[in-house]
Amino acid sequence: MNRWRRSVDELAARRRQQRKCERAQEALSRVTSCFQQLATSLGSSADSGFLRDEMDKTRALAHRLCSGLSHHLVRLLSDCASVPSGVGNRQVLERLWVLFLSVTENFLSDLRKTSDLIGQFPLTQHGRPSLVKTGCIDGMVGVAARVTSVQVPWLTLEEEPSPDLTNHITGLEAMLSEMQLRVPVAFWSVESTQPAWAEAHGEQTEPEHSLEELMEVEVVSNKMAACCQPPCCSCMG
Amino acid sequence: MTIRNTLRDYGQRYRPRMACLKKAEKVLLEMQDPKTGVKSQPQRLVITTIPHAITGEDIIAWLADRFQIDTQEARKFGSMLVALGYIYPLQDHKRLVVKPDASLYRFQTPYFWPTQQWPVEDTDYAIYLAKRNIRKKGILELHEQEQYNRLHKWMNHKWDFIVMQAKEQYRAAKERKKPDRVVFDCQERAYWVVHRPPPGTVSAMDYGLDRRVDPNADEAKTHDFYERIMIFTQQSIMRPRVKSSVSIGALVKYCATYNSHDPFLSKCLPSNPWLTDDVTYWTLNMPNVEIPTKMRVERWTFSFGELLSDPRGRDDFRLFLKKEFSGENLAFWESCEDLKWGTAATMREKAEQIYKTFLARGAPRWINIDGKTMEITVNGLKHPHRYVLDAAQTHIYMLMKKDSYGRYLKSPVFKDTLKKAICPEEHKFTDAQLDQNAKNRRPSLSPIILRQQEQEQRAKMAASATVDITQLCRFTTPVPHLAVYSGITDYPSANASPSLPFLTHTPACPSPISVALDSTSASERRAETSEGEGEGNPQTRAPIGGNVSKPRMAFSLRRLLKRGCTPSTMFASLSPKCPSAAGTSSRIQPISPDQPTQAPPRRIGNFFQIKVDIPPECRIYPIESEDEEEENRAASRSGVGAKEIICPWESLTPQNGMG
Repeated sequence: MNRWRRSVDELAARRRQQRKCERAQEALSRVTSCFQQLATSLGSSADSGFLRDEMDKTRALAHRLCSGLSHHLVRLLSDCASVPSGVGNRQVLERLWVLFLSVTENFLSDLRKTSDLIGQFPLTQHGRPSLVKTGCIDGMVGVAARVTSVQVPWLTLEEEPSPDLTNHITGLEAMLSEMQLRVPVAFWSVESTQPAWAEAHGEQTEPEHSLEELMEVEVVSNKMAACCQPPCCSCMG
Repeated sequence: MTIRNTLRDYGQRYRPRMACLKKAEKVLLEMQDPKTGVKSQPQRLVITTIPHAITGEDIIAWLADRFQIDTQEARKFGSMLVALGYIYPLQDHKRLVVKPDASLYRFQTPYFWPTQQWPVEDTDYAIYLAKRNIRKKGILELHEQEQYNRLHKWMNHKWDFIVMQAKEQYRAAKERKKPDRVVFDCQERAYWVVHRPPPGTVSAMDYGLDRRVDPNADEAKTHDFYERIMIFTQQSIMRPRVKSSVSIGALVKYCATYNSHDPFLSKCLPSNPWLTDDVTYWTLNMPNVEIPTKMRVERWTFSFGELLSDPRGRDDFRLFLKKEFSGENLAFWESCEDLKWGTAATMREKAEQIYKTFLARGAPRWINIDGKTMEITVNGLKHPHRYVLDAAQTHIYMLMKKDSYGRYLKSPVFKDTLKKAICPEEHKFTDAQLDQNAKNRRPSLSPIILRQQEQEQRAKMAASATVDITQLCRFTTPVPHLAVYSGITDYPSANASPSLPFLTHTPACPSPISVALDSTSASERRAETSEGEGEGNPQTRAPIGGNVSKPRMAFSLRRLLKRGCTPSTMFASLSPKCPSAAGTSSRIQPISPDQPTQAPPRRIGNFFQIKVDIPPECRIYPIESEDEEEENRAASRSGVGAKEIICPWESLTPQNGMG
């Protein structure tokens, strides 16, 4: 009776862990996509100290999520390996594993690009290269807000200091290789739950303008602008 | 001193990585300068105004001014920047060119700049396509749909991640203000037009094979680095030196000769395909075209190397040599090239083949090289390597160059080709036609298919190779047939029994000639001294089937003819394929192992040419073990002594039981 009780508790605990991992996964996905949005402004006219700070914060959050998630997943999968029951559970865990690895790899490539760009466009020096005039002027406040809305699903009692960029990159690489060595998961055996073209029918809540519609130029004003261009060049530039 | 044409020298070509990217980035950053950069203006849209738009004409004007070039070149330079992805067009976003009018462009954000060290990932493309799918509710372009399906299949394990990430990125992008959203969408779209171009467009990102070393990276000055510099300098000092007047003279001569043939310096007839997108020039100059162009034929007159390196020229030369019955020189040269550039696995066989066909005593296509070179080559063939035939090849090359080449240029073959050569008219395309040409661009035949065609053709040529009869001697295989057809009865040998080593054939080719050859290979060797006693001995040793490649024998044709049997039946009866032969033919003596003989080669003049299926293999094998050589040397010394240069392994090894 006790043994049965214990195994049920174990099962329940494992399922809770799994759900935490899933939520962490979604959070990580959100954080990395926000990070990418921020990174697209590096070196452009929208680049600023604020942007770089936001990127650091996002990166720190991602770091916490990554380390926690890797830790939990490794533990769950090694437990799963020892417990013979729950094959379906193992499949779910493997899917989570593959998701996590993909997100981390994606994030890693973004980090590398970021480190290159930050090296190429330092904001502090005097003789710095001028920023590229890309047409973006936003301070990315909205994106930053989105990042802060993300919640880490587990409490970390000790806050380890978040690493700087290069250490973060090397740390992630080490973590990835270590994970793949420790737990053997054949990731090509994971099948996607979504059929192709499924996402097309999901998202929309409000009607979206296509890019072509948005890009419609005001024909009339351009013509007028063209004929009176020379004298008021300064007001347009 | 002459300068070689390096066009088809099969040398290692460095495909430089895109060193242009770093340079383009510098130019881009210069364009950003608020004072000296390109003038920018706001772009007015229905919903908002976005700053930092630049016109095509402004870009071109700035480039022309900065680099002091004319407008046309500035336009091409600007188009290159657009094609690389540093600037993108706001209207007509799929055509990556700079139009010299008021059409608008914008600078791409550095995140989306092309880099060399981070390749463009399919995962990112899949996420982009999923995002586009979400946005456009499933209406994607045809090539995008195909890509989507392909990625869905191959990245199925990641697909959940891709969809999740696409949704998240989509939502994150929505957090930005509207004008910035538009800009970001344009940027992303432009990025993927550059890196995943729709089919039928040319991508500026193609750069061929990757080099091992990044030319943009600074090389660390280690011990190794300096050592390499030292070795390089030492080798440079050791090189033979030429007076500068001589070398400059050679350069001047080269430039004067090739000036009209250079596509950069003079017009390309009918038109340069890279400029007009019309491929007539390439089709007219294909390697195996029937009628070459006049320019091409003129090139052949520049030097022998030019003639040989052009496949069509080589064909013409081959035709001329065939008429002169000296085709073996070119064939030998080509085989040497094949050996040099072929795979290591086939080298040994190729060297054997070449030896048997061209170099051996009595080879069917024997080439005439001097004794010393022959000695060196034959010695080298004991341990064959890629360059073992270099000396012989050079000799033959010089022979052809000094002798045949001159005659070729005066020959009717060449004159005929020159007369038939075409001179195409120059194309004059309008701009509209140029656009049409650009749309109709198609990829050429895959190099795999081209290589297959080349190999087929080569096999066909080898299969239908005619044997040059003027080269035949009594050692040559087709002799028995000559005896049959042309009735040679004259064998003026007094004492020495003419022994004719017959050439073997692989059992795989069952032509009548091969059957005959097989049979001759299977026949017994007739010893000199046993000639007299031979007649009555009924013993025949039918050869044991498998090892057809090894048996050696001598056969007297005269004796054969004396007996009055037709060679073919005789040979057939001796064929290993004819197991009943053992009993029937009673006229062949067993080989006496101790008395190998070899008569000097004789030449038979004959003007017929007969076809053989495969260049017959000489029974003489250059690559043998040491003991056999010793044996043979001993044997030949004790045998009937014609004091000639006998290749150490060119022997009649005793065969016990014809194994």
